[in-house]
Amino acid sequence: MSTTILVVEDDGLIRMDLVDILIDRGFAVLQAGNADEAIEIMEQTPLIHALVTDIDMPGSMNGLELARHVAETRPECAIAVISGRYSPSQGALPAKARFLSKPVSEEAVARNLAELGITER
Amino acid sequence: MPLANPDCHRLFRDHDWSTSPLGAMDQWSVELKTLTSVMLGSLQPMLIVWGPSQVTLYNDGYAAMCGARHPKAFGQSFQSLWHDIWEDVEPIITAAYRGAGTSMDDIEFTMHRNGYPEETHFAFSYTPVRDPWGTVLGMFCACTEITTEVMTRRAEKTLRDRFMQVFELSPGGIAMLAGPDHRFEYANEEYYSMIGASRDIIGKTVAEAVSEVVRQGFIGILDDVYRTGEAFVARALPIELNRGPEGEMQRRLIDLVYQPMRNETAAINGILVQARDVTELRAEEARQALLSHELGHRLKNQLAMVQAIASQTLRNAPDISTARKRLAERIAVLSDAHDTILEGGRGASTVRQLVDQMITLHDDPARPRIRIVGPNLKVGSRPALSVSLILHELATNALKYGALSSPEGSIDISWRVAGNARDRFEMEWKELGGPAITGPSTQGSGMRLISAGLNGTVNSNVKMVYEPHGLRCFITADLESFQKEH
Repeated sequence: MSTTILVVEDDGLIRMDLVDILIDRGFAVLQAGNADEAIEIMEQTPLIHALVTDIDMPGSMNGLELARHVAETRPECAIAVISGRYSPSQGALPAKARFLSKPVSEEAVARNLAELGITER
Repeated sequence: MPLANPDCHRLFRDHDWSTSPLGAMDQWSVELKTLTSVMLGSLQPMLIVWGPSQVTLYNDGYAAMCGARHPKAFGQSFQSLWHDIWEDVEPIITAAYRGAGTSMDDIEFTMHRNGYPEETHFAFSYTPVRDPWGTVLGMFCACTEITTEVMTRRAEKTLRDRFMQVFELSPGGIAMLAGPDHRFEYANEEYYSMIGASRDIIGKTVAEAVSEVVRQGFIGILDDVYRTGEAFVARALPIELNRGPEGEMQRRLIDLVYQPMRNETAAINGILVQARDVTELRAEEARQALLSHELGHRLKNQLAMVQAIASQTLRNAPDISTARKRLAERIAVLSDAHDTILEGGRGASTVRQLVDQMITLHDDPARPRIRIVGPNLKVGSRPALSVSLILHELATNALKYGALSSPEGSIDISWRVAGNARDRFEMEWKELGGPAITGPSTQGSGMRLISAGLNGTVNSNVKMVYEPHGLRCFITADLESFQKEH
């Protein structure tokens, strides 16, 4: 079974490209346009290895809140947060989460995921 | 040796004293002889008024004060000399004749001694002169010129007034405190308005006059400056001042400087306070920082968008030269959309402006084939970029494979507010009269970019339907987020 990654990003173009990159690298990719959609997907998907999420998104919670929620409910899930804003202040991110600044390169995404122990099988 | 008073010496010598009330000179009392000798030998202006008729004698120094009345006044009565100011002079000469001397610190004369009218100042003393039995014989007056001192004092005062003005005009609050208990000696208007304009502070200590600063530790700081001589400098210091219209407390931020002031022996005897209320300034700086931060954020998001477009273009292009052309076109479309966003300020572009830009690029004005219907709808800057890009991709596709590829084809574009709650944006692209197509010829990058939907909106949806008469594309999104400026 391949490694599953959930991509959460409200910008359709950026999400599309991120999904393409990850699929090219051999990951199984699920996608959501906001945190609420992401939570719905997670409820239906028992095993998600990593969450890659934007911060500023419409909906009932933003990407930081989603990251904290996932860190609590799925401690085994690796988390990478991407934003065009300044890096979140100390403590806003879950302990093991990675922060990437927009725009991100394919290289940076792959490297950070690998450092979190996420590689395609 | 030249005589001290040549002019008056001559008058004195030539005067026919025998016809004057004083009588011939050899009949004069020893007092009068002595005083005239002193007077005519002195460089100081001197005056003698003698006898009941108040005969007036003077030297060259005094003659200069008489102006044109000299030399006629010499040997005449004192009243005839000063007839025009007799009201003022009479009481003091009368007092002298009664035995009471008078001294006057500062009398102003306009003198012509240097060939032009000149303001001069003299100090006078009228001294009664008595015979050995106590009878007043006359009055002797020695004058001291104090013009230089008066002018110096005046210049100093002018300078002091100007410095005071400097303090008053200063845009910052300035106060001077005296002594170890920090008593207000001076405060400019700005200082008053900073601490609360209606306060009465001069002569009071800081602890009395601005008592709310005591618990905030400011007296301790003043004590330190007074004791150590080291200035205190602070920026954007929070302070609570009872400065409201009803004397209520307000929190302000001030730039504050306390500097020791020293006397002529360099001992500290006061503190100069300079303070500036920077509350509004700091708030403005914070707003600016937020704004530039927000701009940085937007720029990064747009770079990420361009990166995604470039990546998608390269990924799906048949060859590099096609990719280069496609990418240049797409970036140009984003750039044009930006123009409409910037033109009217934030969020001012409308759907119609964006549609018009596409038509200018892809339709022939001599033979228009694109019809549009839609209300004047504002669109936020993020969705505006997507609308422009999607319209561009649809038009490019139509030129290649769709309605615009055959001469009879045309396109209807319409947009509206939809939904039962009138909370949806809806746009329809409808191709007519083109070649029959049943599905996308290729899953090209254009189709993929279209399917990405409207950036920055909630529940954005793009639906493509391939009908016999041509492609129909429905683009919908939540209206509020479509129009919102992020």
